[in-house]
Amino acid sequence: MEIKSIEHPTLKVPYEVLNKKFRTTQKTLDKEISLLQTAATELEKGLDNSPSVGNITKLLDGVIERLNVLKRKAEESIENELKYANVCKKRLEHIKQNVTNTASLHKSPNMRMEEDDEHSNESQIAIAAANQWKKIRLNRLIVEHFLRLGYYDTAEILANRSGIRDITNIDIFQVSREVEKDLAQHNTTKCILWCIDNKSKLRKINSDIEFKLRQQEFIELIRKGERLNAVKHAQKFFPAFEQDQLHEIKKAMALLAFPIDTELEPYRSMFDIKRWEELLVNFRLENYRLFQIPTQSVLSVAVQTGISALKTPQCYSANSRNINCPVCQPQISEIAEKLPFSHCAQSRLICRVTKKPLNENNHPMVLPNGFVVGELAISLITDQDGNVVCPFTNEKWSNPKIEKVYVM
Amino acid sequence: MEACEAVEREISKVITKFSGIKEDSSNSINELISILSLYLASLRNLEYNSKTPEQQIEELKNVIKKCKSKVQTISTEHRNSHASVSKVGKAIDRHFTQDYNNESITPYDLFESDKHIEILNQIIAEHFYRQGLNEVADSLVTESKLPPEEDIHLELFADLYQMWEAITHKNLTPALEWVTQYSSELEARHSSLEFKLRRLAYLQLLQQGVNSQAEAIAYTRAHFNKFINRFEKEIQMLMGCLIYLPSGYGDTPYDSLFSEDLWLETADSFIKESCEIVGVNKDSCLEIIVNSGCYALPALMNLKQILLKNRVSGVWVENRELPIEIDLGSEFGFRYHSVFTCPILKVPTNENNPPMRLKCGHVISKDAMHKLVRGLLLKCPYCPKESGVSEAKKIHF
Repeated sequence: MEIKSIEHPTLKVPYEVLNKKFRTTQKTLDKEISLLQTAATELEKGLDNSPSVGNITKLLDGVIERLNVLKRKAEESIENELKYANVCKKRLEHIKQNVTNTASLHKSPNMRMEEDDEHSNESQIAIAAANQWKKIRLNRLIVEHFLRLGYYDTAEILANRSGIRDITNIDIFQVSREVEKDLAQHNTTKCILWCIDNKSKLRKINSDIEFKLRQQEFIELIRKGERLNAVKHAQKFFPAFEQDQLHEIKKAMALLAFPIDTELEPYRSMFDIKRWEELLVNFRLENYRLFQIPTQSVLSVAVQTGISALKTPQCYSANSRNINCPVCQPQISEIAEKLPFSHCAQSRLICRVTKKPLNENNHPMVLPNGFVVGELAISLITDQDGNVVCPFTNEKWSNPKIEKVYVM
Repeated sequence: MEACEAVEREISKVITKFSGIKEDSSNSINELISILSLYLASLRNLEYNSKTPEQQIEELKNVIKKCKSKVQTISTEHRNSHASVSKVGKAIDRHFTQDYNNESITPYDLFESDKHIEILNQIIAEHFYRQGLNEVADSLVTESKLPPEEDIHLELFADLYQMWEAITHKNLTPALEWVTQYSSELEARHSSLEFKLRRLAYLQLLQQGVNSQAEAIAYTRAHFNKFINRFEKEIQMLMGCLIYLPSGYGDTPYDSLFSEDLWLETADSFIKESCEIVGVNKDSCLEIIVNSGCYALPALMNLKQILLKNRVSGVWVENRELPIEIDLGSEFGFRYHSVFTCPILKVPTNENNPPMRLKCGHVISKDAMHKLVRGLLLKCPYCPKESGVSEAKKIHF
């Protein structure tokens, strides 16, 4: 079952968003309700203590006001939850299409095209539908791969062009795109907001990203020559992390004593501007962890296993290269270099001339020079005068001895 | 299927629940607002500084009490729906594997190296150029800082791909033009492509309703004549459609003719045949690789789990073989190389250990032959014949 093995992130990401929306909704509801309760209690007190019409009108008006706010907020936020529940549903429907297509491949046909002897018309239709699904899957995987590498524009163009935006995580990753842009410009603001927004989840996965941001802010203050402000910054933010990050905090504090162009490690690399790039990658990875997305993209896993499943020793031998074989393409064979070969327990032979399998219907025959071709190819390599020409070496024989080969 | 259904069940429950809560809460809040508004209106009729009448005070107290408990219910109900939400997550985890998460099939990720990422990006860019999706490919080249490239073969394919795409968007004109241009080649191949396209064009006319009836009939007279010998039955069926034209095709035997999939299938036949005629590779390398990989993954993942349980590692060893066979041939119908696996030693042959044909015609590997030889003679392991080592011949598959 292919979908079981590769579609986990497709569903899990919108689920995580749904779960988060649930929490925010609950928070909003509770906050609004408690405000309403306070207004209602005020009104109750008013009724008991100073029940003048004026006072009661005012208090009652307040309660109604709060009710209206509650109504609006409840509708908005539940609508939001429903939106992501529907995203999950939509993706499931898309994944299910594949299963239905594969299933209908095995159904018996009722409309036959006369000349199609290999496949019935209906199973051809099912194959076409399954292929279409695979094309969409490939585009989905590529979009996710691009998002992961930060090629947001390309991901966007591809998703819109192929109409698959809804079933990719582009919109969900819009926030992280903003954060990354901000980090690339050496700003921490948006990333800090993101940390606050996901505080409980980040704590659960033991993330140290917030500390890293605070540490970087501290370093930047020193870089700007504002050592005093740096100390204030440290007083404000570092104590919250003293349990896990004491060592890092000490290292950071020591920076106060060094000039920013120090050659001494580890302080030199702490001042390195490259740390921002690391921070960006770090954020990206933490974001994946948050959504429980694997660190390796499905595309990259699929490419590697796919190449392995196709790779044969013949891809590397000059006289058996095949221009249609992906692994024989120079670029791909470079990637393939270290990957495992496919396993082949039984000989699998095809005729080099007709590209048809060699079996009892197309018996393998050996030419005098040792090259094997299928029985069906013999007439193709025989010229008008009855001479047989080897298609590989151009050797020519008149009336050669072409013998059968038995493969067990 | 089962996996999808299980998750879908849970999701549907969540949707019903939220919709219910949304409706209930709106209703009860609306009700409260309208009751309280009535009181407010009646209070506004009274003298501003006078004391609120006792009866109203009592009634208001009751209403407020009710109001407090009602809004509390909204919160409680919403909180209780969390169980259904988390069930969705559990269903996803249970029915879909997140295995390659921590311990991947591939113990090292090739695409952690910049060089390999660059190659992969190049392959992806080529894949899009082939399809004529130049805007995607160009954007990738810019964003990933790839050197640009040009290749005539990509353009040839891109033209055909555009026609393919047009068919899937129900525009037959470019494909029909192409078919007319290559009609002699198609005829030589006994192709049914033109018929398939004409059939769709006719059906498309029918779908415009009774008004196009005359036009549809004229179309068949103009184009179906030459197909009558090969597709008599289909044409009968197509003309039969006219019976139901006024009443629609639901529940008639002709319904299946109007399925979307017929368009996809025709589009597929088009790309297959046109690529063969023009002489370009129909499949993109990336597509073949990724589809093969997705096909291989479940088996490899299962195996990995078994091996892990038995504390054996090594699903994936550099430059060795995968531990199991992934039969792409029967799944996708393609195979690019002959692999001869020695029936004695069970290893694939290579240039150092080539296949040898014994005098009797049976083939074994050279290494196997040397193991079986006694003196200068060798008995074939598959038949009673004996032959000399020198009589064995190296062959190339």
